[in-house]
Amino acid sequence: MRQAATSQQRRSSHEYDHLVPLFDELAALSDDDPGRETVREQLVTGYLPLAEHIAHRFAGRGTPKEDLVQVATVGLINAVDRFQPSKGSDFLSYAVPTVMGEVRRHFRDASWAMRVPRRLKELHLSVSGASTRLAQELGRAPTPAEIAKHLGISKEEVFEGLEAGQAYHASSLDESLGGDGEGMPLGEAIGEQDSGMEGVENHEALEPLIRELPQRERHIIALRFYYNLTQTQIAERVGISQMHVSRLLSRTLARLREGLLDPEAEDEEPAS
Amino acid sequence: MRLGANLVHLPIVRAVAVNIAMRADFDVDAISDLELAVDEACSSLITHAVAGSVLSCRFTIGADDIMFTVTVTSAEDATPSRSTFGWRVLSTLTDDVTSWAEQDEDRLHQVHIEFVKRRPVTAR
Repeated sequence: MRQAATSQQRRSSHEYDHLVPLFDELAALSDDDPGRETVREQLVTGYLPLAEHIAHRFAGRGTPKEDLVQVATVGLINAVDRFQPSKGSDFLSYAVPTVMGEVRRHFRDASWAMRVPRRLKELHLSVSGASTRLAQELGRAPTPAEIAKHLGISKEEVFEGLEAGQAYHASSLDESLGGDGEGMPLGEAIGEQDSGMEGVENHEALEPLIRELPQRERHIIALRFYYNLTQTQIAERVGISQMHVSRLLSRTLARLREGLLDPEAEDEEPAS
Repeated sequence: MRLGANLVHLPIVRAVAVNIAMRADFDVDAISDLELAVDEACSSLITHAVAGSVLSCRFTIGADDIMFTVTVTSAEDATPSRSTFGWRVLSTLTDDVTSWAEQDEDRLHQVHIEFVKRRPVTAR
């Protein structure tokens, strides 16, 4: 996948040559200059084929092509906004991993293993949705019986829907590249450095692992294990479903465990 | 429940934990907490288990709680320290967690982690 992207980058680098000076132009404009928006838009539009091309590479994995293009475009916009021409690297070598990272994150966060039958996916989504609504109504996490009653389905079906969530992220894509989770509006409640683990015996080994986590995961770990919020409270605060919080906690704990076992391991395999 | 002390068997133990908690009508937070705690307890003990040995798990279902006990055979006294991150995870996720070890006649250690997850008090 990575190799393919590199050849794409080489093959198409000339077609973007005319855009390169625009980055210097953008960098020269002050933050509140009304001209910024125009230049930025020119850049995003100009590089759009790159986003489309990367989206195309991820097609056929159960996510509609249009969604992928949209996700890749978000990645492209991020890349345009964050690219610093003064740092000397060229935009394409910066943008390709950023866009691919965004698409991977989408798969990781929002996609299903393709073998999950449609009925189960829908069941899972309706159970998850009902759970969120009930949590707001009740002010606490609902039980399967309450979800069943709310949806007018059997408890067995709720069990199926809850369990189906396990397959949600079983996509074979690897973990995303650097830059994951940046720019998410979650950092306000807790300072970045404050993982809350200072009192822990193995915190010297733990701190760097926690720092390497995507911001959202770091935030969720701190809320659960330092501030002792419930998953439902975290879900509400972060703006995702409780089931998503559950999956992120599970995956992050596995990653931290692996990291603590083998402090030398860099970019360890994602825990399944 | 007796399985090989190998991480590949973890999904089975997790699935059983989830199933028990769902059928006991624990709320969705407690179901997930139990699953995460089972995962944490088993993983940490499997790491210290003698190769080829057995992971023994027991769920005891009470009226308002689920107790989980996991035991492995280890070459050393691998009782987890109370001040590690893993222990903080376990004590946050469960209501009461303990760990102990005893030495058997072959000078191996039977290391146990046991915890209780109580049904959260709800205003029903």
